[in-house]
Amino acid sequence: MDQLSDVLTAISHPTRRAIIGQLAAGPARFTDIAKPFDTALNSVTKHLKVLERAGLIRRKKQGREVLISFQAKPLRQVAGWVHEYERFWNERLDQFEQHFMNQKERREKEKKK
Amino acid sequence: MTEPKKTIEVKVERTIPAPAVEVFDAWLNPKTPGNPWSMAEKLLLTPEVDGFFYWLIQDTAHYGRFTEVRRPSRVQHTWMSRNTSGEESTVTVTFLEKGEETLMTLVHSGLPDTDGGRGHGKGWNFLLDNFTKQLSQ
Repeated sequence: MDQLSDVLTAISHPTRRAIIGQLAAGPARFTDIAKPFDTALNSVTKHLKVLERAGLIRRKKQGREVLISFQAKPLRQVAGWVHEYERFWNERLDQFEQHFMNQKERREKEKKK
Repeated sequence: MTEPKKTIEVKVERTIPAPAVEVFDAWLNPKTPGNPWSMAEKLLLTPEVDGFFYWLIQDTAHYGRFTEVRRPSRVQHTWMSRNTSGEESTVTVTFLEKGEETLMTLVHSGLPDTDGGRGHGKGWNFLLDNFTKQLSQ
């Protein structure tokens, strides 16, 4: 599946939307995320895997703990899907921006030589 | 009297790592990847006030006239095709230099608010509305 499909799948379930809502307030540990849900821990793990595949959450090790945080960027793709022209201009400008990024990278590499 | 048609506006922003004049020139140069002109199957482009463009892509002809060309800060032209139901919409692109970068803002306004234009229609809006509600709870 492409990333847009992964994101749409991820946000199609109320539990996963609630998890995102919770994480939008700040990173949390797995046990804190699971606490409000009257569901098996195994099921929360599965929901987190779906969110992770869509790029909507990230796990980061902090000492002995793993903190899970919300990543909003993939949601832009969903917003960009609302209107054909929004999608069109987003794709155009992504490519336009990439062209300048590549140019900058090339210049920096040449400087180092 | 006919009722005024409902239109919508699309706004897209990017920060480009180059000076405004470079970004402005690249936006109007059909050789630069990413601008619409670079994708053309057929193209006539005169980027000056009252200049005209004809842009053919996937059997869809687009036409417009340039209403403002202010190098390096702003360019505006009209945009019409069967996707705008033959109505004249407006594309305004501004370039604001910020240090070594340029904030580029593209606003496409006057787009007819049709199901065709919205493409994927009410289903997506419903989903997004619900999602926003969930987040704000």
